[in-house]
Amino acid sequence: MAFQVLDPTNESAPPLGQLAPRPGSLRGKTVGFISNGKEGTKGYFAHLDRMLRQEFGVANVVSRVKSNYSAPADGYIVGEIVNWDAIVTGIGD
Amino acid sequence: MLGFAATSRHHGKRTPNVQLASRTYQADDFPAVQELYHSNGWTDGLPIVPPTRDAVEACLEWAMTPPDQLLGIEPVRAQAVTAEKLAINAVMAGCLPMHFPVVLTAFAAMLQPDFLLHGATASTGGCAIFVVLNGPIRHELGASGGFNALGNSDRATAVIGRALRLALINILEVRPGGIDRSTLGHPGKFTYCVAEDQDDSTWLSLAEQRGMPKEVSAVTVMAAGAPRQLMNEWTTEPEEILETFAAEMRANLRHYSLHAGNYALIIPRQLRDHIQAAGWSKTDIAAFIHERARIPRREWADVGKGAVVRDRGDSIYPALGSADDLLVVAAGGPAGGFGAVIPPWLGPKSKAVTMAIGACVDCEPPKG
Repeated sequence: MAFQVLDPTNESAPPLGQLAPRPGSLRGKTVGFISNGKEGTKGYFAHLDRMLRQEFGVANVVSRVKSNYSAPADGYIVGEIVNWDAIVTGIGD
Repeated sequence: MLGFAATSRHHGKRTPNVQLASRTYQADDFPAVQELYHSNGWTDGLPIVPPTRDAVEACLEWAMTPPDQLLGIEPVRAQAVTAEKLAINAVMAGCLPMHFPVVLTAFAAMLQPDFLLHGATASTGGCAIFVVLNGPIRHELGASGGFNALGNSDRATAVIGRALRLALINILEVRPGGIDRSTLGHPGKFTYCVAEDQDDSTWLSLAEQRGMPKEVSAVTVMAAGAPRQLMNEWTTEPEEILETFAAEMRANLRHYSLHAGNYALIIPRQLRDHIQAAGWSKTDIAAFIHERARIPRREWADVGKGAVVRDRGDSIYPALGSADDLLVVAAGGPAGGFGAVIPPWLGPKSKAVTMAIGACVDCEPPKG
């Protein structure tokens, strides 16, 4: 017996965001960090902060931590992104 | 609140204008269907019921729901969930049309912001979706809440719980190693649904405790760890019986997480009879448990977690943020001094949600 069966997956892909233009250099730029707040992020972002300033000449690093590591970033954090030249987001389980 | 048609409103007629949008596949025979779905990663590893157009349309018609009805959008990944896709997964899980309104309502509840669906299904913590059925629909579906309540007790709870898991896998891509990052998971990730044994209990049902009218059927969803079974056959005193439940919750605070959240207590008939005979309500139970299920942080040092006690050893951590966070469920076979504690995924990050099936209990009345 032949069957005609239906696709159970979400065939409509979610809308993709557009990538912002890539900066040619990080020198003098402002980089934002969005941490999920887990323990492992502290050392990771502290090291990255030093590296970006010392090796890449980043002028400012802005660190923000989500209030809930399992939820999207808080609205006030998302609102700040427009002021940053680049962003690093990470999890630290 | 969304409302979906109750099973008793089914007219038994085919709706002529159901237009399904899903892609179709041809399979030569039943084994070919299984291989098609397994090879695409569309199953939980068990065989599925072929989701044919007729079967899916029957589910939608029973619930009087158009296929393109939007249940909600999972916000983290902006994935829409429609009734058609949910019906396909429900059929695959073994649901009959009469089960589908429960699946629709449970998934709508999971999409409420308080439930935090993405976190609950993606976390390394590996929780499952625990579902409690209340109200008259339990009888219509033959879901008893008696013997083996947390196991393979009946067809309805088995297929409803499985439908939710298959829908997560296929609609939201919650596959192990993909969105699902569970370290261990637990067997409730195949199905984790129980009907409350309201008929053998003098207590208010869970749904009533959470604000639903008695006549309304409802589902409650909770992001939950595996059940922790306990036993106390050696007393009839409510305080002593419930101290065993509180101790199991304290153990969870020590061994798993200090964070307060929703916990469920499953209390079968034997222990329930003692507690009810003493005149204790669910509210009394919750007040007692809220007081007793708490530990000082220093106890983490007793179980190998001394490194994070730091200078906060005397801080007290309750299992429940408030007594209202306890979900007391009457369920289980009639004999045996057993019970179970079902712990939260991780503290208060996901909150249990209760939603009515086939009724809109907080809608405004029509104007004019």
